[in-house]
Amino acid sequence: MTQVIEAPDIHQAIKQTVGSPFTHKPKISTRNVDVFYDDKQAIFDVSLDIGSHEVIALIGPSGCGKSTYLRCFNRMNDTIQSCRVTGEFRLEEEDIYARGMDPVLLRARIGMVFQKPNPFPKSIYDNVAYGPKLHGLASNRAELDEIVVSSLQKAGLYEEVKDRLNASGTGLSGGQQQRLCIARTIAVSPEVILMDEPASALDPIATATIEELIDELRQNYTIVIVTHSMQQAARVSQRTAYFHLGKLVEVGDTNQIFTNPQHQLTENYITGRFG
Amino acid sequence: MDTDLNLTQHISNRFNEELEEVRNLALNMGGLVEKQVSDGLKALLKAKSKLGEKVASSDYKVNAMEVDIDEQCTLILARRQPAASDLRLVMSIIKTITDLERIGDEAEQLGMYAIKLADDNIKPSQFVELRHLGEHVKEMLHDALDAFARMDVEAALQTIEASSTLKEEYDAISRQLILQMMEDPRQIKNALRVHWCARSLERIGDHCENICEYVVYLVKGRDVRHVSIDEMKAELEE
Amino acid sequence: MSNKMSHHRSNIEQVRHSLKKRHRQEKRFILLGKLSVLTGFLFLAFLLTDIGIKAWPAFQQHWIQLDVTFDAQILDVEAPADEAALKKGNYRGVLKKSLYAMFPDVSARRDKKALFKLISSGAEYQVRDILLADPRKLGTTQQIWVLADDDVERFLKEPALRESQQSDRRIKDNQVAWLDQLSGQGRIESQWNWAFLTSGDSREPEQAGIAGALRGTMLTILVTLAMSFPLGLAAAVYLEEFAPQNRWTDLIEINVNNLAAVPSIVFGLLGLAVFISFFGVPRSAPLVGGMVLTLMTLPTIIIASRASLKSVPPSIRDAALALGASKVQTVFQHVVPLAMPGILTGTIIGMAQALGETAPLLMIGMVAFIVDIPQGITDSATVLPVQIYLWADSPERAFMAKTSAAIIVLLLFLVTMNLLAVVLRKRFERKW
Repeated sequence: MTQVIEAPDIHQAIKQTVGSPFTHKPKISTRNVDVFYDDKQAIFDVSLDIGSHEVIALIGPSGCGKSTYLRCFNRMNDTIQSCRVTGEFRLEEEDIYARGMDPVLLRARIGMVFQKPNPFPKSIYDNVAYGPKLHGLASNRAELDEIVVSSLQKAGLYEEVKDRLNASGTGLSGGQQQRLCIARTIAVSPEVILMDEPASALDPIATATIEELIDELRQNYTIVIVTHSMQQAARVSQRTAYFHLGKLVEVGDTNQIFTNPQHQLTENYITGRFG
Repeated sequence: MDTDLNLTQHISNRFNEELEEVRNLALNMGGLVEKQVSDGLKALLKAKSKLGEKVASSDYKVNAMEVDIDEQCTLILARRQPAASDLRLVMSIIKTITDLERIGDEAEQLGMYAIKLADDNIKPSQFVELRHLGEHVKEMLHDALDAFARMDVEAALQTIEASSTLKEEYDAISRQLILQMMEDPRQIKNALRVHWCARSLERIGDHCENICEYVVYLVKGRDVRHVSIDEMKAELEE
Repeated sequence: MSNKMSHHRSNIEQVRHSLKKRHRQEKRFILLGKLSVLTGFLFLAFLLTDIGIKAWPAFQQHWIQLDVTFDAQILDVEAPADEAALKKGNYRGVLKKSLYAMFPDVSARRDKKALFKLISSGAEYQVRDILLADPRKLGTTQQIWVLADDDVERFLKEPALRESQQSDRRIKDNQVAWLDQLSGQGRIESQWNWAFLTSGDSREPEQAGIAGALRGTMLTILVTLAMSFPLGLAAAVYLEEFAPQNRWTDLIEINVNNLAAVPSIVFGLLGLAVFISFFGVPRSAPLVGGMVLTLMTLPTIIIASRASLKSVPPSIRDAALALGASKVQTVFQHVVPLAMPGILTGTIIGMAQALGETAPLLMIGMVAFIVDIPQGITDSATVLPVQIYLWADSPERAFMAKTSAAIIVLLLFLVTMNLLAVVLRKRFERKW
């Protein structure tokens, strides 16, 4: 990267988000979001709506703030002491950052899947049953069994593990582990699933399985996915948002973004150019 | 519209070179086709059967170039999975060369009819309208290729606009030939040959129009096929 | 071209040349490493063998068989006597009488004294206990094995002494003759010294055992464990998972680290000043010893536990939090169980450290000479390392063997604890 445009120029170049950041009846709406780590600002004035039952991909170069922004949705940034979030986050009509909003409840409604598959070193069954037990979603063992099985089915893993539900979750292959993590997330029946580069540690076949799964999950969940793979964004999402240096540069239909982006920076990024 | 098209500045230098190469090949093919058309027209108007033969026998070069460029484009798609402007460039090259190949075929037709008409001792002076049409088409092809080379949307739109006069000229030739045939049924054979040539030229004009539409798609990312020129302009001004 | 080729070749030559040197270096280093390991191993082997050889005599004990008549007259008790009277009896006289009966030709007062010195001064209590256990034996004659004196013991265990000058040894020639006579009659026997493990300390080496120190050690370690594990774990979990990152926690962290490097005797002084003088905890007791050792092991446990907690991948925390677990649930349902092997290892290392500690215990009076085996954490007690220290300081030759034997017991204790650490580690370890 020899021709990096100096930061001030970039900020000059991104005056306003290009495209259509707002949707009708959004599932989550965010307005004028700024995120700071101590004095360093990581997100600048981002306003974006997440539509119901859509897959929206957040793309951008490393350090562009897309993961930081994603972690604001379920307040995972709360655990980072130096992190400060301002602006408005609403899940339907509720203020995510309101004083009365319990992050525990919020995270039951907005689940998250991480970059590295991170099953608990427990059995497959216990991994999936952990969330429902935590929130008391099952009143007896039979109900819990049902939740576990249906979650595994929805995650497309049940057929592969039905004979060894008591085997350790960490003994599965990488792709299976990630699907186990997805099953664990949907066992809590969230409305929104956040995915932070869910396939970046997987081989192409496992990746394809996960992508297929994301497509199926769209029927019942709203999905926000951060990805480094532009092809993946192009394949799984309906809308794509391009972040650059903490700013939301362009949002639009995935089809449009990948054939005819409006902003030069988006164009440069998705065609693999300097800048 | 902030994007400006450039083939360079990819992080991968090989990718830059590949795109540049395939674009140059397409332009070379355009040059070859342009020469074929102008030679074919010359053979027809000046009744030179030798030149006609040369045009007819050179079409394989155009075909070979199409195959070659097609393959290169396929490889770029497979290897680079281009997006946005790169994708549009490769797509418009693939389509442009298809049209160029068809233009090459029409030029071959012109060459063939030139041989036949020359053999029958038909005088060139009879084709004055055809010459007019031919000059017009040559100019249009040149402009279209120029617009493609320079990725010039303005020039492409002007070229598309110019195609309407082409159609009028073709209609005029048709009417004239019908009159001729009615006057002198012995001339029907040659009149039909002349008409086929006019038809070929008109088709070349259509292909030029397509190429210009690809230029608009390449630069603006808008598909302007099958819409009227006014709608096209209105859409691009948005 | 050829120029280039030759240049290329010379490059390879150079690499090959330096390669030889590099390989030599590597071999030299490996050899050096092996030598170091071997040296260490030899030292260890030497130490263990030395201790083993020195300790061996302590596990063997010679007994002399006497025909003891429980003569009521000599004992100076009335025949059916009550327990209190029996306790006060003159068992010394009984023993003397039986010895003089076995060697009738010994008449000089000095010789009689020398003869009586063959048996341990503790023999009278041994005889007394036999009669106390069964008062009906009053008036009868019993064949009783009594302990040999420590000087006799040493003489019997070291054959070289027999050849040496009478003036160079504590057993005189006439005593040697008596011993030979006893041995000829089959009245001297060597036995496995169970008493070493079952009896308390004594001024007489042949009677001294480590049961008191062993019990004291166990009680002290239990107190230490019961106090330092929960305290250390709680402190580590709080500091690592809950405490805000600011100047105060930095300060605490530095202090905890520094505390681990404070000489242990300082903790002893602190214990003396605070626990004993200020709070009035009974001195010399396992309770106060455990408290002092807790102070000493806490930094070790906290540091090890924090390192172990830190090594739990953050992805596990993220996973639990993202599912809606609260911070406390995340920590206690996922992080602490995963860190447990490391925490346990740290704790056991801390315990082993405490086990071997002498200095702070000297400060709080656990160095006292205590014969009774402690029954609770407030009884006066001593611990193994202090016992070793005490014995090593004693003038009697036989205590040298006792010292080594006690060291062996201490080492076995440590090995057991380390094995326990390994087993626990294996048991709790989880892969992720």
